[in-house]
Amino acid sequence: MQQQRCWRICITPSVNLLYYLQLLINGIVAGSVYALFAVGLTMVYSIFRFINFSHGELIAWGAYSVLLFASAPFNLPLWLAVFPAMLLVVTLAQLQNRFVFSPLKNSQPVTLLIASIGLSFLLRGLLQLYFGSDLRSYETSLYESIDIGGIFVTHVQMAMLCLSIIFFVALHFLLTKTLIGKSMRAVSDSIELAGIYGISTRNVSIFVWTISSVFAASGGFLLALDTSLDPMMGLSFMIKAFAAILLGGVGNVWGALLGGLCIGIIENISTAFVSPGYKDFSAFALIVVVLLFRPQGVIAVAKQGIR
Amino acid sequence: MEYFLHISIICLIYILFSSSLNLELGCAGLYNFGHVGFFAIGAYSSTLITLSDYPVWCGFLSSMLIAGAVGALFSWPVLRLTGDYFGVASLAFAEMVRLLLLNERWLTRGPMGIPGIPQIEVMGRIDNYTNLVVALLLTTVSLFILKKILSSPFGRTLKLIREDEHVARAFGKNVVSFKIRTIAIGSAFAGLAGAFWAHYIGYISPNDFTLQLTVLVLLCVVLGGRGTLLGPVVGSIIVIAVGEGLRFLPLPASMTASVAHIQSMLFGLVLVLLMLRRPQGIIAESHLLQET
Repeated sequence: MQQQRCWRICITPSVNLLYYLQLLINGIVAGSVYALFAVGLTMVYSIFRFINFSHGELIAWGAYSVLLFASAPFNLPLWLAVFPAMLLVVTLAQLQNRFVFSPLKNSQPVTLLIASIGLSFLLRGLLQLYFGSDLRSYETSLYESIDIGGIFVTHVQMAMLCLSIIFFVALHFLLTKTLIGKSMRAVSDSIELAGIYGISTRNVSIFVWTISSVFAASGGFLLALDTSLDPMMGLSFMIKAFAAILLGGVGNVWGALLGGLCIGIIENISTAFVSPGYKDFSAFALIVVVLLFRPQGVIAVAKQGIR
Repeated sequence: MEYFLHISIICLIYILFSSSLNLELGCAGLYNFGHVGFFAIGAYSSTLITLSDYPVWCGFLSSMLIAGAVGALFSWPVLRLTGDYFGVASLAFAEMVRLLLLNERWLTRGPMGIPGIPQIEVMGRIDNYTNLVVALLLTTVSLFILKKILSSPFGRTLKLIREDEHVARAFGKNVVSFKIRTIAIGSAFAGLAGAFWAHYIGYISPNDFTLQLTVLVLLCVVLGGRGTLLGPVVGSIIVIAVGEGLRFLPLPASMTASVAHIQSMLFGLVLVLLMLRRPQGIIAESHLLQET
């Protein structure tokens, strides 16, 4: 209440305040999901040293495979369809790892990047071939919302927030308490040293791809539940995740979380000032602004990016 | 015959477009995945200029100038990144251009696109033969200029920068300035290709300039061979021939709408296989630099 009064001094009509608060909440919710994408991207980067362009396709495949298991031949209820869908996407990521990225591990990052661009086209083409290019949505009625003092939060948004919190806490314990998580951190520090200590890079990459695909697919499903499914959805989310890891510092899990939240909040607040058609623009513009005004941080990152 | 003419013209446009990308990607090692943005800028600037009653050649010239200038401006912040970082940032740039074209309706009519772009007219003739001759002329001249650039000290320095920036710096070369000039030149030629494309097709909309086109051109360069003059030419011919050939597949009528998806799947697959089996492309670059 105290805080609200302070706010009211800055922005006179209370309707405005609520509007901005609502945008802020929406931004935090969207940002928490972007953070999930960014973490997957940054973890793959820390092991393989390339930006996985087909990360966006894991997001889209997550959303679409839930639709696949929830519709005609399977007809599973939505909450049940999530599990086979996750399994499908994890399998897909492992296949990518086994047949494309692991064989290319010792080549230049750009070779890996081009391969991942090719892969993302292959996967997107498959989606469009099977589901068509039109917008789709799940047949559910999950859209009731709760009213918290004039701010509306839908059940889906609550689910997004809870899921991200659960995933990030789980990830924290995985990375700090389990052997595989510790080996992952070791490999990302120095692949040679980790090899000398007998850490299996193979197991670590399987672990990284599993985490990255589960995070991407579940985030993709929830975002699709909130809005709609679109075969092209992966691309813009991939770019937002990239902007998030640029902001937060590459290879840094908590940086990715912060970066994702920033992107989500900025993009939603921006809709109050510019036309909603430019909502995706803000993430892109942010990339440029970061490059212009924080070059020292980015250059340190870019030096890792060479090889 | 008309169809064959059409394919040849499209092929020439792709050769021009992919050669301009090759200058950046093959020679200077700048993985620009936002090249389609400059193609779009060229197409729109030439269109808007000719629609306000300037002749077509004026449109061509200004599209080169505008695309080149935007390229130099864009490269200034983005060149602080290297390798794959630069790639993704340039891709974001292309998406920014597309969003601008979609949303600035007062200028570009947004998603409706701009119809009725003036055709190329040479000595009172407007037909596909004229288009072909003009395309052939533009492409040959551009390829000749690119060849001159590649064999000049400038081009050799670019290859040195690609191989090892530190050595280039040790030789007293201003690496950033070289890169900015490369992107400006590459973007200018991409703008020219875009302008020609707009005048040939006669209608443009932001949806023509998606990532699909970037990947197609990338495939042309990578398939043909990076860093060689002939590579993009061979690559473009193969890509266009295969892409068009898919239309003649005996598919059931219900599948005809999905030819585009099959196309993009095939191109994606080829890109992956190329990276796995032959990353240097069909025509491998001779390693003059390593020998000397």
